[in-house]
Amino acid sequence: MKESGDIGRVSRRSWLKTLFCGLGAVLVVNRVPARAASVESDLGSKESGPLTVRVSRPFDAETPVREFTSFLTPNHRFFVRSHFGPPAPDLIAEANWKLRIGGLVERSLELTAGDLKRFEPVTITAVVQCSGNGRAFYSPKVPGVQWERGAVGNAQWTGVRLRDLLVRAGMKEQARHVQFQGADRPVVASVPLFTRSIPLAKAIHPDTILAYEMNGRPLPLLHGAPLRVITPGWMADSCIKWLTDITVQAEEAKGYYMETAYRVPTTPVEPGGAAGGPSIPVEEMIVKSLIATPQEGESVKAGPVAVQGVAWSGEAAIAKVEVSMDEGKTWEPARLTGDAYPYAWRRWQYIWPAKAAGTYAILCRATDARGQMQPAASSWNPGGFLWNGWDRVTVTVTA
Amino acid sequence: MTGDGSVTREALGLNRKKVIAAGLLLAGGFFVLAMTTAAQEDDPVSVSAALAPRAEGLIIARCSVCHSADLIAQQRLPRARWEATVEKMKHWGAEVSGEEADLLVRYLSARYHPGAPDHLPPLDSEVRKAEPFSQEPAKDGPVTGLASRGAGIFEHNCQACHGTGAMGGMGPKLAKNPILKHEDLFWETVLHGRGPMPAWGSVLSHQDIADVHAWLLTR
Ligand code: HEC
Ligand code: HEC
Repeated sequence: MKESGDIGRVSRRSWLKTLFCGLGAVLVVNRVPARAASVESDLGSKESGPLTVRVSRPFDAETPVREFTSFLTPNHRFFVRSHFGPPAPDLIAEANWKLRIGGLVERSLELTAGDLKRFEPVTITAVVQCSGNGRAFYSPKVPGVQWERGAVGNAQWTGVRLRDLLVRAGMKEQARHVQFQGADRPVVASVPLFTRSIPLAKAIHPDTILAYEMNGRPLPLLHGAPLRVITPGWMADSCIKWLTDITVQAEEAKGYYMETAYRVPTTPVEPGGAAGGPSIPVEEMIVKSLIATPQEGESVKAGPVAVQGVAWSGEAAIAKVEVSMDEGKTWEPARLTGDAYPYAWRRWQYIWPAKAAGTYAILCRATDARGQMQPAASSWNPGGFLWNGWDRVTVTVTA
Repeated sequence: MTGDGSVTREALGLNRKKVIAAGLLLAGGFFVLAMTTAAQEDDPVSVSAALAPRAEGLIIARCSVCHSADLIAQQRLPRARWEATVEKMKHWGAEVSGEEADLLVRYLSARYHPGAPDHLPPLDSEVRKAEPFSQEPAKDGPVTGLASRGAGIFEHNCQACHGTGAMGGMGPKLAKNPILKHEDLFWETVLHGRGPMPAWGSVLSHQDIADVHAWLLTR
C-alpha cells in the first residue's frame, strides 16, 4: 500500500513537471523569436545536475560515473530511459491500475497492488543497464540515444517472483515465452508499442521478479511505478516499466521492439553495415567495468592515487579487474572490495603510484568467472548494443 | 569534302563563339548564381546554413511531436542512414511531405554527418535572418479562416498534442479555451510557440492558422 499512496500523489501537475523537467532548453528555444531557435541549444551543458540529460522528451538521462563509488545507486541519480515517457497518471493510479495475466494460462488473473502484497516479498540487488549504454563509442556512429558510460546502476529491488504469479495462473503446455506490456503510450498511435517478451526459462527463474520497491522506497514514477520487471543479469530492455499486462505465449513477442530493435547479429557485421542478417534478441549482460574515480580530466597530486570503480557481468561473478597505465600493453591486478552478490556489481580499487607530472590515460578491464574478458573495443553491430570496451579516463598529475 | 568540312568548322566555330558571347551577356547573372550553388552543394556548412531556416522550422514543428529535437541533433550519420531514419519517422507518423523529407535529409546529412564535431556551434543567426522564414510573405490584411479546412490542418499538425477534437492531451485543451477570443495571443502562441508548444510560423501559412482558429471556435 505504501507505493500506491505515492502513486496517488502523482498529480497531473507533478506529472507534467516530470515530463517537462528536462525541457528548460526547449523552452529557451521557443522563447527566442522562432527564427533564432537552434536545435543544438537543446544539448547545452547539462552535466551539472544529478543526471546527464541525453533526451529531454521523453526523458532519457544517464548517471555521472563519479556516483559509482557507492555500491547502491540512489533512486534520484539512477539513469532514466523509456521510449514514450511515463504513462498518463490515471492509467497507473491505484484505483485504476491492475495487473492482468493471460494467454496460455489455465486461469486469467487480475491483480491489484494490494493482491500483490499477499505474495511472498523478495529482495534482490541487481545491476540494471540500458542495452545501448556506450553506443556513443562505436565507430562508425550508430543511430539511437548516444549513451556514454552512465546508463547503468545497481539497486535493491523488492517485489514478487514472476514465477509465483505464473504458478497461480497455471501455465499451459505450449507456453514458451512471457510477454510484457507497460501502460506507456506513444504520442501518436501509429508508433509501435514497446512490447517485449522473455523466454519461459528466464520468466520462471526464481530471481526474476516484479518490483514495487527500489532501494527500500516505493518505485519512483520514472522507474516504472507501480510495477516493473527485473530480469537480473539481463539488459534493461527486458525490465518493462509501468507493467500492466503479462501474456504467456508459444512465440516470442511480435513488433518493432522485438523483431527489429534490440537485436544483435549472430554473425559478424562489417562496421557501418546494415541490419537484416541473422540476429537474436539482446538478453544477458556481458562483462564490463568502469572507472568512477578519478574522473575524466581530473587533476591529481603526484603520489598514491586511489583508482576506484565497479565491475559486473550477466549471470557470472567477477573474477578479476585489471588496470593499465600504458595503453593496454601491460596490466596490473586491482583489488576486489566488498562482498560478491550474484547480479550486483563488484567494487574494485587500485592504488596507482603517480610519480611524475604529466597527462596519463588510466584503462581498466574485467574478466568474469567464465573467463570472458572485456575487449579493447566491442565488435560493431548496427544497433550499437552491448558496448563493453575497456574503460578509460585521462588525468593530469601535478607535482 | 575537306574544304566543305573546314568551312563548316569555321562556321561552327564562329557560331559557337557567338552563342557563348550572347549566353554570357544574357545569362551572366544566372551563370554566377549556378556556380555559387554548385560550390555550396559541396560544402556542408553552407548547405546547412542555406537550408537551416526551413529545416529547423520543420524539425521543431514536425519532428518534435514525439521526441525533443536533441535526439536528432546528437546523431552523426551518413546520408543513407538519415534517409532511412526520416523514412522510418514518416512511416511512424511524422507529418512531412516528400519534398519536406528531401529537404530534411539534405539538411541533416550536411549538418549532422559522421565527421561533424561532437558539439556544433549554433548556426550563424545572420545567415538565417537573411532567408525569408515563412514560405509565403506575411499578409497584411486580416485573413478569413475556413472552419471546414481547419479540421484537417488541426488533425495533421495539432492533434498529436492537443487531442482528438482539441479536448486536450499532452498539450492543453483548446476547445472553448479563452485564448481563442484573444486573437493576438493566439497568433503569437501559434506563430512563435511557447515552451513545449512548437512555433508554426515556418510551417503553416497564415491562411492555415486562420482556418485552424476558425475550426477551433466551432468546438
Ligand atoms: C510519430 C512520432 C514521431 C515523429 C513525428 C518523429 N519521430 Fe523520430 N522517433 C520516434 C520514436 C518512437 C523513436 C524511438 C525513440 C526511442 O527509442 O526512444 C524515434 C527516434 C528518432 C531518432 C533516433 C534514431 C532512431 O532510429 O531511434 C532520430 C534521429 C529521429 N527519431 C529523427 C526524427 C526526425 C528527423 C523526425 C522528423 C522528420 C522525427 N524523428 C519525427 C517517433 C517519432
Ligand atoms: C508537440 C506538441 C504540440 C503540438 C504539435 C501543438 N501544440 Fe499547441 N501547445 C502544446 C503545449 C505543451 C502547450 C502549452 C504550452 C505552455 O506550457 O505554455 C500548447 C499551447 C498551445 C496554445 C495556448 C493554449 C493556452 O491555453 O494558452 C495554443 C493556442 C496552441 N497550443 C495551439 C496549437 C495549434 C493551433 C497547433 C497546431 C498547428 C498546436 N498547438 C500544436 C503542445 C503542442
